[in-house]
Amino acid sequence: MVQTTPSNLNSFSNDLIASVEDLKVYFHSKEGLTHSVDGVSFDIIDGEIMGLVGETGCGKSVTARSFMQLVQTPPGVIAGGKIRFKSKKTGNQIVDLLSLTENQIRELRGERIAMIFQDPGKALNPGLTIRTQIAEVFQEHREDDVFKKAKIDHIHKNFIGAILQKYIKQQTNLIIKLMLLVPPIRAYKKKLDKAIDKLVIEALAETQIPNPEKVMERYPHELSGGMKQRVMIAQAIACNPDLLIADEPTTALDVIVQARILELITELQKRHKTSVLYISHDLSLVRKICDRVAVMFAGKIVESGDSDTIFKNPVHPYTKGLIKASFMTHERGKLEEIEGIETK
Amino acid sequence: MQIRDYIIRRLMILPFLIIGTSIIVFALTRIGGSPIGIYLSHEMSPAEVQEMKERFHLDKPVPIQYFYWIKGVAQGDLGWSGVASAPVIDVFPKKFAATMELAIAAGIVAVSLGIAMGTFAGARRNKFADHVIRIISVSGASMPLFWFSILLLIVFWVWLGWFPIGRSDPNLFEAIAHPTGFYTIDALLAGNLDAFKDAVWHLIMPAVALGYGATAIIARMMRSSLIEELQEDYVDAAKAKGLPKNVVLKKHARRNALVPTVTVIGLTFGFLLQGTVVAEIIFRWPGLGRWMAAAVLRGDQATIMTYVMFTSILFLIVNLIVDVVYANLDRRVELGD
Repeated sequence: MVQTTPSNLNSFSNDLIASVEDLKVYFHSKEGLTHSVDGVSFDIIDGEIMGLVGETGCGKSVTARSFMQLVQTPPGVIAGGKIRFKSKKTGNQIVDLLSLTENQIRELRGERIAMIFQDPGKALNPGLTIRTQIAEVFQEHREDDVFKKAKIDHIHKNFIGAILQKYIKQQTNLIIKLMLLVPPIRAYKKKLDKAIDKLVIEALAETQIPNPEKVMERYPHELSGGMKQRVMIAQAIACNPDLLIADEPTTALDVIVQARILELITELQKRHKTSVLYISHDLSLVRKICDRVAVMFAGKIVESGDSDTIFKNPVHPYTKGLIKASFMTHERGKLEEIEGIETK
Repeated sequence: MQIRDYIIRRLMILPFLIIGTSIIVFALTRIGGSPIGIYLSHEMSPAEVQEMKERFHLDKPVPIQYFYWIKGVAQGDLGWSGVASAPVIDVFPKKFAATMELAIAAGIVAVSLGIAMGTFAGARRNKFADHVIRIISVSGASMPLFWFSILLLIVFWVWLGWFPIGRSDPNLFEAIAHPTGFYTIDALLAGNLDAFKDAVWHLIMPAVALGYGATAIIARMMRSSLIEELQEDYVDAAKAKGLPKNVVLKKHARRNALVPTVTVIGLTFGFLLQGTVVAEIIFRWPGLGRWMAAAVLRGDQATIMTYVMFTSILFLIVNLIVDVVYANLDRRVELGD
């Protein structure tokens, strides 16, 4: 089995943005403990697009979700390992994402690490407007910017500012809601709303959505799949994160929209110098956009390295099978079969 | 379709629905036989009986009788209530207000407690609090109302003496005016806090008894739909934005979990109205339910028809409200057609 070099396990070299070390995530099920992710290690170099490929159910998504502590526990169990992450905003401080407290990880979520989900139709809340949903990112992480943009940062620290701060952070109760109706405070609130509007429009414009002012007032079901995914991307890159996790972002879309979304992701990645962890089961697609690739099979990384090298000289039999299977699609006939192994 | 247009359209259809209901109500009531018995006494001679029949148009064919009745209703004459020994129109508003006060109080108990308990339990699935709430809701859904009411009565009225029965202390309420017929509101309008306290105190026990079953149903529905919503991707997406737990729960998941719950809330309204009959008898609440029970037993058709007509109209209006709330919560719902 080709593994990442053991020296990576203990060192965190300067050019990395994140490093997964011996990650183990298990799930309790009726048959006992399922080893979904069983000792996965790989690095993400700062500024690269790292691909994580493998078949459905091999543990790719669980690995990705572990970055943000989004694996539900129970039934999940983080059985071991580390995910070290370099937060560029806080002076390149290196943290272990798995051992952060709820509040610490919340500060990173959406701000330093963002995620694009597989099905944009499901990942947007059907009951809220696009504006409301994107605005939340700014409200949570960019409070200062909102106040500055509204040109009222002089009141940020006083009593009225404290009320508005609660409003921005969505921590209102009945008393604060009533206070927000008082005319002078209401005027400030309107200014803040307008500032948020502007930030949302900017974020949407970044993803080349036509008419962001109008799109923002819509509900998710009124948009097409590609538009929804653009909205998700706008939401993810709103705070210019260090690491963007894209969990099969094009699987739910048709081929043409797929290509456009991919273009958008690579372009934004270049412009913002964001590192991307790109998860997919589509090898040809990964080859096109990723600098390096890790191939995952049954909860383990079976091969990793430079994407061209892996495609030209696959070493592991699973990788060979996967490449063969993916280029079979043009011909009719017997499909290449990959023998599974039984996992516990 | 715009929500406002939808409401206007539905309100325009309402009169036709009411006419339809009135025909059904009238026909069904008349199947029970001629209502003449309630107007007669033993001393009347056959000639006098005939005279009474002619006076109430009961000698005419049933369809013609319907037109006489509906004409009376349009003119504000709902008939003579044998049970109350007074015209229905004189007695009805007061009793209606009493019943509505009870039903609304029970509804407030059921909706607020039901949603709160369901949310609390759904967010803490299979934890201790969830089990406790499950016990409460299973018992609420399975205990018969009359039995639970009597239990409350024994414990809180007979043994502990914490709560009174009846509707109010007459000494306090004879002194104030009754513009709305809702004692709590009347007391507040009169600025009489003692009377308000008294009205609320009388209201608590019957409202809790009546609302308990509905609370259980709403809590169960809320719990299961919240658990379902919490599995959705958008909840993870909301967490991935860095939002605090309570925002994810209340703004994102609960909002969508309310969609199926609202339908159930609309249905429990009928449950509450039906329950007022039992609750009013047990707690000696002078409302429509008690009057109605007596009217059914004595064949007081004018009262029965008025009651059924009014509750049907109420139901239509509640349904309209539910539809509008539903469309507001779930934007994918297209109102109309």
